[in-house]
Amino acid sequence: MNAIEVRDLNKSFGKVQAVAGLSFFARQGEVLSLLGPNGAGKSTTISMLSGLIEPDGGSAEIFGHSIRAEPQAAKARLGVVPQEIALYPDLTARENLIFWGKMYGLRGAALAKRVDAVLETIGLNGRQRDRVGTYSGGMKRRVNIGAALLHEPAVVIMDEPTVGIDPQSRRHILDHVKALNRAGATVLYTTHYMEEAAELSDHIAILDQGRVIAYGTHAELIAQSGGLARIDLTLNVEAERVLPAWRSVPGLAHLDVVDGHVTALVDDSNALLPRLFELATQAGARIMTVDIREPNLESVFLELTGKALRDEA
Amino acid sequence: MKVLILTLKDLEQIVNDRKSLLFLVVMPIVFTFFMGIAYGGSTTTADTRLRLAWISADPEAPLAQRLFERLAGSATVNPVRMAAAEAQTALTNNEVAGMLIVPGGFGVEPMAAQPALQLVADPASVSGQTLYRTVQLALTEWLSSAEIARLSVAAAPGEDPAQTWQIAFDQAWAAWGEQVVSGRVRVEQAVAIASEAPFGGNPYNQTSPGILVQFAIFGLVSSAQILMQERKLRTLQRLLTTEMRPWEIVAGHMLAMFAVVFGQTVLLIALGQWALGVDYLRDAGATFLIAIALGLWVACLGLLIGVVARSDDQVVLYSMLAMFVFSALGGTWFPLEFAGGVFAAIGGLLPSAWAMIGFQNIVIRGQGLASAWAPAGVLLAYALGFFGLAVWRFQKVIG
Repeated sequence: MNAIEVRDLNKSFGKVQAVAGLSFFARQGEVLSLLGPNGAGKSTTISMLSGLIEPDGGSAEIFGHSIRAEPQAAKARLGVVPQEIALYPDLTARENLIFWGKMYGLRGAALAKRVDAVLETIGLNGRQRDRVGTYSGGMKRRVNIGAALLHEPAVVIMDEPTVGIDPQSRRHILDHVKALNRAGATVLYTTHYMEEAAELSDHIAILDQGRVIAYGTHAELIAQSGGLARIDLTLNVEAERVLPAWRSVPGLAHLDVVDGHVTALVDDSNALLPRLFELATQAGARIMTVDIREPNLESVFLELTGKALRDEA
Repeated sequence: MKVLILTLKDLEQIVNDRKSLLFLVVMPIVFTFFMGIAYGGSTTTADTRLRLAWISADPEAPLAQRLFERLAGSATVNPVRMAAAEAQTALTNNEVAGMLIVPGGFGVEPMAAQPALQLVADPASVSGQTLYRTVQLALTEWLSSAEIARLSVAAAPGEDPAQTWQIAFDQAWAAWGEQVVSGRVRVEQAVAIASEAPFGGNPYNQTSPGILVQFAIFGLVSSAQILMQERKLRTLQRLLTTEMRPWEIVAGHMLAMFAVVFGQTVLLIALGQWALGVDYLRDAGATFLIAIALGLWVACLGLLIGVVARSDDQVVLYSMLAMFVFSALGGTWFPLEFAGGVFAAIGGLLPSAWAMIGFQNIVIRGQGLASAWAPAGVLLAYALGFFGLAVWRFQKVIG
């Protein structure tokens, strides 16, 4: 049985269709990342899976329990880490964890044991008696995650848990997700950071405009895009002066201009770059900067949608 | 169980907030005293009777002393012994409402004709007329007793006249005193007699329940903000991802608000009972019933404000609006009887007015549990209405 099974899920807000016939699944014990820019429908999907909002149509199941027909049974197996910090700032970390533990049905010695274990895991034992309101953003994020893990849920849903935090806390969180997964939890992880999706995931579903546009392992997705490298260039003149010439170059799969920056997807950057320099010189333009990225999820997204992941992030 | 855990969490947050304690505990106590003083009494034992200067040319006369004691025992006059010059000054300075001059020889020779007393007071004023009626009544009783004594002496020629006169006078005088106490009409079936003195003779009978109701509503600021914070901090959304059902979340918050309002009400009732002489415990069951109903109504109103408001500022605005409307129109600042007909009629529709009626039935009108059912019923009906609106709105908010 799949840990998460989503079929043809739909949700509209007024005239805006946030989720449009979304389908995906997560096998038990794997990390599945939903990757997409802001507005792709990731958070709406998470909200529907968590029981926060009702889908307009379709179905979603957690270990076979429908989120619509059996919401309590589905929620009992879920630990949700919301995108925003959802803690009481005037309570200490320990008090917060005790409260949320009780909300997940833990009591007495079992609760105390789990609170101690989670504090150890998130590395906040030393400051457990301090009010959360006095913590840094990264520390709050860690408590935010810890609160969802107290009842050792079979499925952990994490909605962009690393947004707006320092690199050290981000590293801590990513390591923690891996540890969770090693301990047997199924993790549904949403992000618009392709590096995180690449590092953490067994499978990745790329979302755009409320639907899955690609699904597979990291390697499968790279292969789907044809293994194209991405080259970002800036010129000393308007890009339109060189674009006609560049578009005729064999091996250049995609060419796009955003805010004067030229993005190209190419099959062999070493072979192609000299030709691009040559054509620029002939057009009276000078290439000022060049940034080459080997094939990655961003280039996959660019290939599939014609736009960059972070343009909308 | 989870409902109670949520309630306890809310209460912990309220107790941790010192500003809340200021609004919930300190301010109502201070305002109760302040408003009590403003309504005319700094203590419940102050003598509010009209001061009457008693000027006696023969202070040792025992029968004149009887008249003095009778006046001192009256509900309206407080006689104070003074010398003539002192009394004149006190009257000029409005320190006394009048002066009674008792001439020499009054009450010295019982069986002799008595010289006339002289009352000096403004006959056009209410206080002067009151003094006149009270002195006239006491003097009539005195002269009547003396006449009865004289007739008794005449009817018993063989007896010692002085002794017979004294015994008859004492019995008649005592009988007049009992007449005043017992009254001549017995009421078989009626509600308790309302005191003719304002607020049952104790201004705190108005201000204590008034401030109690007003600050119960004002306490909404603290309790509604807890729900507002729950939404702002996104913990409400997190709660909804647990197994808790929406109605359990609403109930948990509502119970916390109820506990806050009820706790505050109990505190102010205790203050009124033991420090201000407001007899809430005349019927503890009735007081308890009104306090419970008041707590539920205010808690449900707080819940509605917490759900409807979109920011902390709106919580304060709506709470203040509710407090002013329900307090002013509901008779918590001044009795609705003092207001005009239309004002009183509108105010009488409000739950705050019914809370006041409930408490005042107990502390001013001396009524019991039977009088509390109607006000409590109205308050509970309002509570139910507000709760329904809050739940309906809550579904929209989380949807």
